[in-house]
Amino acid sequence: MRRTSTRSVIYGWLRVFAVIATLLAAPLARCQSTSADQDPSTDTTADSAYETIRPVPIFSAGVAYNSFFDGGVDNVHPLVSPVTLIPFGQNWLIESRETFEINLAPVPGESGYHGALQKEVDYLQLDYIANSHMTVTVGRFLTPFGVFNERLYPVWIRDLQTDPLILPIATGPSGAGTGAMVRGGFDLTSKVEINYATYFSTLSTDTPLDSERMAGMRAGIFLTGPRLEFGGSFQHLLQGDRSNAFGFHAAWQPRSLPLDLRAEYARADTGSGYWVESAYKLSQIPVWRDELRHVQVVGRMQQYFTGVVPDDDLPAVNTRLFEFGLNYYFYDDLRIVSSYGRQFAPEGGNMNIWNVGLTYRFVLPIGHGDIQ
Amino acid sequence: MECGPDVPVRASDRPRRHSMSRRSPILWLVIAASGICGAASAAHGQQGDNAVQQPAMVPASVPASAPAASDSNVGTAGATASPAPAAAAPASATRSAGTAHASSAASPAVRERESLLIEGEKRFGTNCGRCHQSPHHFPPRMMATVVRHMRVRATITDEDMRLILLYMTQ
Repeated sequence: MRRTSTRSVIYGWLRVFAVIATLLAAPLARCQSTSADQDPSTDTTADSAYETIRPVPIFSAGVAYNSFFDGGVDNVHPLVSPVTLIPFGQNWLIESRETFEINLAPVPGESGYHGALQKEVDYLQLDYIANSHMTVTVGRFLTPFGVFNERLYPVWIRDLQTDPLILPIATGPSGAGTGAMVRGGFDLTSKVEINYATYFSTLSTDTPLDSERMAGMRAGIFLTGPRLEFGGSFQHLLQGDRSNAFGFHAAWQPRSLPLDLRAEYARADTGSGYWVESAYKLSQIPVWRDELRHVQVVGRMQQYFTGVVPDDDLPAVNTRLFEFGLNYYFYDDLRIVSSYGRQFAPEGGNMNIWNVGLTYRFVLPIGHGDIQ
Repeated sequence: MECGPDVPVRASDRPRRHSMSRRSPILWLVIAASGICGAASAAHGQQGDNAVQQPAMVPASVPASAPAASDSNVGTAGATASPAPAAAAPASATRSAGTAHASSAASPAVRERESLLIEGEKRFGTNCGRCHQSPHHFPPRMMATVVRHMRVRATITDEDMRLILLYMTQ
């Protein structure tokens, strides 16, 4: 009798436990399915996708190995440019880029190639996205004068590995400033976008962080329909001769062609000039499509005129340079680059410029993004 | 016969009832174990989701019948640099099969999402290709960082950034 009673009690508890467990499983399963429904990637609104996906810190680097033949002199130019991006909160971002490069060249009377490692902090800045129209940046930033310095400079982006002749105009000794910047972009209409950047930089003479005391702005208009952008830049030097510099830029990517057209003009006391570049991918050629779609043909013409104030970073004489390039993309971030250029400088400096190289870019996450 | 007294040796309703009665502890044990396992797996799954995303960050406006294109890469994006198409394909296939009947009921949401994705693709092609070759898809959490970086670097608009992120993370 006692045995029967104990068994019935156990059976009773088992029934109760089974019922409770089953009842408990149902709401938990419902919660789980609700949680799955609320996965950020299932959301239909772009706002929620932005607010729910937690960004992860990123480490990236552009790597290049170039060989230049300038006027018959062989130069080997390896370069590594690491980029670190650390987002935190909904509106903050720390970003930095450094450049480590060596220009190895033969030294008369010695064997091999020789050169010194050059280090530069291109930017190390803290960004705060204040609202949909404005981002505030403090630290060291790329000087927003024209578009090449900010957008097209990385070795894995630029179509020709040589710098434009006018690049040093108004971008300072290192292409960067140290101070504060306010920038942003917004839609003027559904087909017109405005972008702007204003900045102030202080004087810095530290070698990896050198900059000039200057203030300036850049503004651009982007027509999304024809994919045409044009704009202008202005800068006032707050040291030395307190000179002004200004420039214009334009870019066009027609929808019907895999073609990039870009141009810049800059003028300052140190000199003036322009460059016009076109890059065409052969993806529309009806033969050998599998191979030709990886090939890009590039042409660039540029001209530089000396100014009243000499600058060591600019050519010493009036110079014209025509360049023709051929790039082969294995992937979007791995390619072989090559170019030939002819420099015309009647007062001294006529020469051929050859380049063959390899560029690569990789992107890696850092940790698990739990910084938030 | 090896089952002993639980197995009736002759056809009769009474022994059968008796047999069921004597089998009931095992039956209830199995039911209880199933319930426990179900509850445990549900709780574990929910805990995993909570580890991936903060519930407070999920907007309340998310429709329950939203298109079920849940991307399992969201949670593991930080651990890998490349997307895992092999793993993602079965998941998406299961998703589409499991929610095919629900899509008709949520067709306005589906249409809205598709239009946003088309707009995101357009913005992606318009903005990203202005400076460099169009990149491949990164995992969503990396893409969130990249678009924030590009918003500053290339001064793309806030709307462009959000639409490109939506497009690149679907």
